[in-house]
Amino acid sequence: MAGIEIHGVTKRFGDVKALDDVTVTFEPEKIYGFLGRNGAGKSTLINIIANRLFADGGSILIDGTPAAENMGVHDKIFCMSEADLYDDSMRIRDIFKWTGRFYDNFDIDKALEISKKFELDTGKRFKTLSKGYQSIFKLTVALSLNVPYLIFDEPVLGLDANHREMFYDIMLREYAQSPRTIIIATHLIEEVSGMIEDVVLIDSGKILFCEEVEKLMEESYCVAGLSSQVDDYCRGKEVVGTDQLGALKQAYIIGEREKIAGNDSLQFSQVNLQKLFIKLTEKGGESI
Amino acid sequence: MRKLKAAISYECLTSFKHIWIFYGITFSIVGIIFIIIGISTGDSEVRGTISLEVNSMVYVGILGVLGFKEDFKMLIQNGFTRKYIFIATLSLFAFISSILSLVDTIISRVLHEAMLYDSVFGGLYGFDQPFIMNWLILFLFYMSVCCIMYLGVLTVNRLGKRKSLIIGLGLLMVLALLLPAIFRYVLDDRARSMTVELLLKGLGIMPDGKVALVNPCVLFIALTGVFGFVSYLVIQRTELKA
Repeated sequence: MAGIEIHGVTKRFGDVKALDDVTVTFEPEKIYGFLGRNGAGKSTLINIIANRLFADGGSILIDGTPAAENMGVHDKIFCMSEADLYDDSMRIRDIFKWTGRFYDNFDIDKALEISKKFELDTGKRFKTLSKGYQSIFKLTVALSLNVPYLIFDEPVLGLDANHREMFYDIMLREYAQSPRTIIIATHLIEEVSGMIEDVVLIDSGKILFCEEVEKLMEESYCVAGLSSQVDDYCRGKEVVGTDQLGALKQAYIIGEREKIAGNDSLQFSQVNLQKLFIKLTEKGGESI
Repeated sequence: MRKLKAAISYECLTSFKHIWIFYGITFSIVGIIFIIIGISTGDSEVRGTISLEVNSMVYVGILGVLGFKEDFKMLIQNGFTRKYIFIATLSLFAFISSILSLVDTIISRVLHEAMLYDSVFGGLYGFDQPFIMNWLILFLFYMSVCCIMYLGVLTVNRLGKRKSLIIGLGLLMVLALLLPAIFRYVLDDRARSMTVELLLKGLGIMPDGKVALVNPCVLFIALTGVFGFVSYLVIQRTELKA
């Protein structure tokens, strides 16, 4: 398995360049956090991978097979989308039934079991479900499919904290039983930070980086202290952002942590993924 | 092929029940009209002119639009390619058109025998035409309506509402104003009569008063083919709009 290989993908919507020469590879059997601000290009890229949109340029290969208009990848990938694409007049159990006919590896018993856990009424029609339960239904379909590549676009939209926790639990259990590539595009970074192995950060249609979360956390830190001392310390380092409060300053740095002898007034701490994400994207990725 | 079969089954089975809802509504309305006319005129042998074929044409037209709007989303969500979606949609059109044309042919013949109803087909080609030709021509006609409407909705989706509205208005102007004006003021009598003759020949009504049922078959096959092929070209570049 070669994963999902994206080479130089570009996409324009009129004057807006939604994706600009995007090149990234989602490797097999890894859990990815696909992060970016609103309008960064996450859903556009996902929709191109899922053959819902066409790229203006570049190519996407799934295990070496072109993804665009190719039934050969049908049973390899499933994308749970934020948009409601199901026939909303259909009952949930009927959609399960049809999904079972469309996909070889859809486990309808698992779908019913997950529905029961979430207390999703399978006798109801899609349109009568609340936004949260519509998301639960879509998650249930995705979690009951044993495909090598599973993409979730804003999976927990409208879900309360308990249901979100349940989803993460089930997803990790499924992953442990049958490892596969899971790509989670979400805004709730802190919630997924504990389960994702790699993070792909996109901003203004460009991939800022694709990095292992652990490595990224090891290589990034925060230094705080008096403004002048922090400025001195940061000289020559890769500063991704700063926060200022009066005479105090906090700087977020990527690189090896270096302590300067005789400067004990500076405080060093670990930076969390969400903070790093905010700092990396607030200037449109200029700091990278 | 198994996936294609699943997509075709989805299209056909989920639309099947709507046919009977359509006929239920149609015949309820027809029944109410007959009762009202019967009560108001006191005539129990009213000969109806409410055309089943026109109702069916409207129905298949709506089906052509919904064939894209609803089913495209559902099938693309489930990983089907546009080629498969197109084949499944065309299969749906064929399935529904064949049922509607069969029911319309049977009902129109039964009601004609009962002296209650004259179909459009009977009015154009006579009531003594073979059953199979009645069914075939209606089937091909409904298929071409489906394909025309399908292309229409695909075009609207591709161009956006504003551009489609401008093109639609332009087309309407050409059909409602320009063509009639050319027909009336530009063409001479000979050209006019030749145009009318050509149109009637296309519909199978020959100058000597005879009927050539092969002509409408060829005409509707050609319309289905052309509009179906152009629809295929358009859907190949159609993107999902949430």
